[in-house]
Amino acid sequence: MSRLARDRYRVVVVGAGVIGLYTAYHLASAGAGPILVVDRGFLSNGASGRNGGGVRQQWETRSTVRLAKEAVHAYRRFGSEFGQNIWFRQGGYLFLAESPGELDRLKAVDRVVAAEGLPSRLVDPDGVRRLAPAISLERVVGGSFLASDGTLYPFPVLWGLYERVRALGVEVALGVEATRVRTEAGRAIGLDTSEGPVGADVLLNAAGGWSGELSRSAGLTVPNVATLHEILVTEPLRRFLDPMVIRLSDGLYVSQTVRGELVGGLTFPHPSGTSRGMGSSPEFLSTMARALVRLVPRLSSVGIVRAWSGYYDETPDGFPVIGEDPRLRGFVHANGFGGHGFMLAPAATRRVAKAVLGEPTDLDPREFGPGRFLEPGRPGTIERLQPG
Amino acid sequence: MPDDAEGPVRYRGRPLETLQGETLAQALTRQGHRILHRSIRYHRPRGPFCGVGYCTGCLVRVNGQPNVRACRYEPSPGDRVESENAWPSPEFDALAPLDRLSGTGFDSHRSFARPWWATQFYYRMIRRTTGFGRLADAVAPPPPPPGPPVDVETAVVGAGAAGSEVARRLGAAGHPTVLLDRGHRSGPIEGTMLIDRCTAVFLPPPSGPVDRPFRLVAAREDGRGLLVRARTVVAAPGGYDASLLFAGNDRPGVYTAEGAIADSPSPTDPPFRKAVVVGAGARATELLDRFGASVEAIVAPGPVGPDLARRASELGVELYPRSLILRAVGGRRVRGLELAHRGAGETFQLTCDAVVLAHRRLPNSQLHFQAGARMHWRAETGAYYPVLPDGVATTVPGLFAVGESAGFVGPAALESAQRAADTILGVAGSTGAPSRVEEAGPHELEGYYRELLGRPGGIPKTVACPCEDVLLKDIAQASQRGYRGIEVVKRYTSLGAGLCQGRYCLPDALLLLSIWEGRPPPEVGYIRQRPPVVPVALGTLAQLPGPGPPGAS
Repeated sequence: MSRLARDRYRVVVVGAGVIGLYTAYHLASAGAGPILVVDRGFLSNGASGRNGGGVRQQWETRSTVRLAKEAVHAYRRFGSEFGQNIWFRQGGYLFLAESPGELDRLKAVDRVVAAEGLPSRLVDPDGVRRLAPAISLERVVGGSFLASDGTLYPFPVLWGLYERVRALGVEVALGVEATRVRTEAGRAIGLDTSEGPVGADVLLNAAGGWSGELSRSAGLTVPNVATLHEILVTEPLRRFLDPMVIRLSDGLYVSQTVRGELVGGLTFPHPSGTSRGMGSSPEFLSTMARALVRLVPRLSSVGIVRAWSGYYDETPDGFPVIGEDPRLRGFVHANGFGGHGFMLAPAATRRVAKAVLGEPTDLDPREFGPGRFLEPGRPGTIERLQPG
Repeated sequence: MPDDAEGPVRYRGRPLETLQGETLAQALTRQGHRILHRSIRYHRPRGPFCGVGYCTGCLVRVNGQPNVRACRYEPSPGDRVESENAWPSPEFDALAPLDRLSGTGFDSHRSFARPWWATQFYYRMIRRTTGFGRLADAVAPPPPPPGPPVDVETAVVGAGAAGSEVARRLGAAGHPTVLLDRGHRSGPIEGTMLIDRCTAVFLPPPSGPVDRPFRLVAAREDGRGLLVRARTVVAAPGGYDASLLFAGNDRPGVYTAEGAIADSPSPTDPPFRKAVVVGAGARATELLDRFGASVEAIVAPGPVGPDLARRASELGVELYPRSLILRAVGGRRVRGLELAHRGAGETFQLTCDAVVLAHRRLPNSQLHFQAGARMHWRAETGAYYPVLPDGVATTVPGLFAVGESAGFVGPAALESAQRAADTILGVAGSTGAPSRVEEAGPHELEGYYRELLGRPGGIPKTVACPCEDVLLKDIAQASQRGYRGIEVVKRYTSLGAGLCQGRYCLPDALLLLSIWEGRPPPEVGYIRQRPPVVPVALGTLAQLPGPGPPGAS
């Protein structure tokens, strides 16, 4: 007997992460009819439960800055809207440059961010010291800072959404795996799942690291690649670090949670794909340990409590894929967030919901649309602040 | 570095007498310092509990470095020891009233979730009052330089009876072997490289070259990191004494059996005057033999066997079989234990100044999990053990599990060791699989907790996870709000997210969830522990080889 309540839904969302649940919330609020969200794992098993909780607005393109700005407003309202603490704390994001070239990249971003009306600023090493007195200034030539960026606890965002969408009548089926997209005459008509087939008017691919596999099961060629990213958390310490600190040279990011632990990771190469499973590596632990001690030398006696990993769902240009697939009607993408799904979710999913309902959005399809990878001479890759 | 390398050890500014070979926790307990710090959320008094470097009961600041476990630290002359997360002192902490003021506990999910300004004020307050130690005053002295990675045929983890036996047999056959142990082991094993005071913390699934697919990360007590590369690994990390859920189980004076032993000033001199021992198994007997004169009573969730009953009556120790342990009575320290007979409503109280938990041994299964070995639930002990399709070989090629962590106890532990050694050496010596504990009914705690939870009037404020101050009520609430499965409940409550990584809370939480969710524990989920096995200093991990951060050359 199937665990699913119906055999047909208006919308079937694959992925109960922040993107899938937030979209389901917008859809259900708009009265979009029977909605099913399926997820292969438990709630928070994917990247939405495995990320560092950073929410920044310092981006390389104005459209993304606008989305991020809207997301920050949504996270500020989250407690009022959902009655759930998400521990969103606007301690700012401090980017560190260790070479003139890195500083130039920060300057370019600073101009884009400032053009969207956000008070980001460039700081000299002395300014870095004032913002984060514990960090070593050795090699630091400057940085950029935006005070309204911040961090949150990812899990409670999922709890708030999960409880709300269920109250709104959305069916969330956990531990149900989407095995194949069912198509008919150039149209997605449903999904094969571990609980049997289910019909859908619209199918939303919000499967994060598994989204490429899902699209490919529909016969679509997509460039999404799942890339493992490792992360760790230390013992709790009394408050000493307010901003999220990002170092361009090695991609180190670290913030101190409300409870006092340091959470962070860095750029660390891994083979792509999901076949090896999610695990940790001694090489990451040692590399990360060296990077953290280089940032804050007084941390050397502090213990690492736990390390884990998750998938970034990456695209060639580093920007997400939002919109209906031009090759398969009724199949909408909300994936390829590349480790930034949480930062953009509240804003991006408003557009995703519109795309699901067939309404126009303010997103430029050349920047975000799934068709952009099909066009010859598509826009070139933009140099990213933070890979992944 | 200590300010005054010749002077006495100082605790909170006052001289502390320390004896040769004594841990800091022993010295503090011996001189009457029972409360060493305050808990992370409710500022409840805490003292030594586990004695084996897992829990957060004895965290102190030593020479300006935070979060040092007093039970694992041997002080040197001139050491400055301070308390953490307590002001002005752990005994009289200004935030201690939080525990009472918070009533049955905060709902961290919904309290002050709106309006925005209240939320911000709430977060700011929490941020200011939480965390254990302050950031170090200065950069810690670097550990000695690490040696090169150790390349061997076989790495044996744990020098208990089973692990030592494996190492002895392999060494005698000239098989290149390294034996790692967390504790201090006296006496070499011929033909084997012994590295003690060294904790194996991380064993990822084998992925290296064919002749050395395993990379085992270990942390030495002096701060050095160690990488062992091996063809095969024999995991024999043993077990530990479990905690039990009752109100006040986190109060100073409540110990696990090994905690009480570790905190004792001498092998027969206990860290209490009169203790109630919980449990009726071999561990309880051992405590009676050791501390008999200072044991007030034996209390057991289930029946008490004739041998223990005889031993108790010889010593004049009272027996309370089939009892519910309701509450450790007392303020800053245990003054008594409130009990009820199973199946009866009436409660009664025993006077004691310590409660020693000796009712249950659990396996150290972290390395098996990390390596990717398939695990299965064994109801009679209420724990996960590696699946052993062929005697002592796990489902991970090249990884063997012997001794208590694999479910082999008593003579079977040595049989399992022999079997592992023979298999590794390619000797067709031992036949048949050593027998593990027989499958019996469900663990007695399942019925015990069912009865405890069903008691009229409910359960008083009970800390389920002392590291994170997660209450029993928080777990119940998660369940009521529709969160199912240990993985999600862990994340919803932060149960098991603390320094002990759930050793002292998850096994019991699994039984509770099994009751609330109405399905057997293995369906509630695995108790997965992520690396490392114990917290490892960044400075130690930094010594291990790695590709190095890009651009950091």
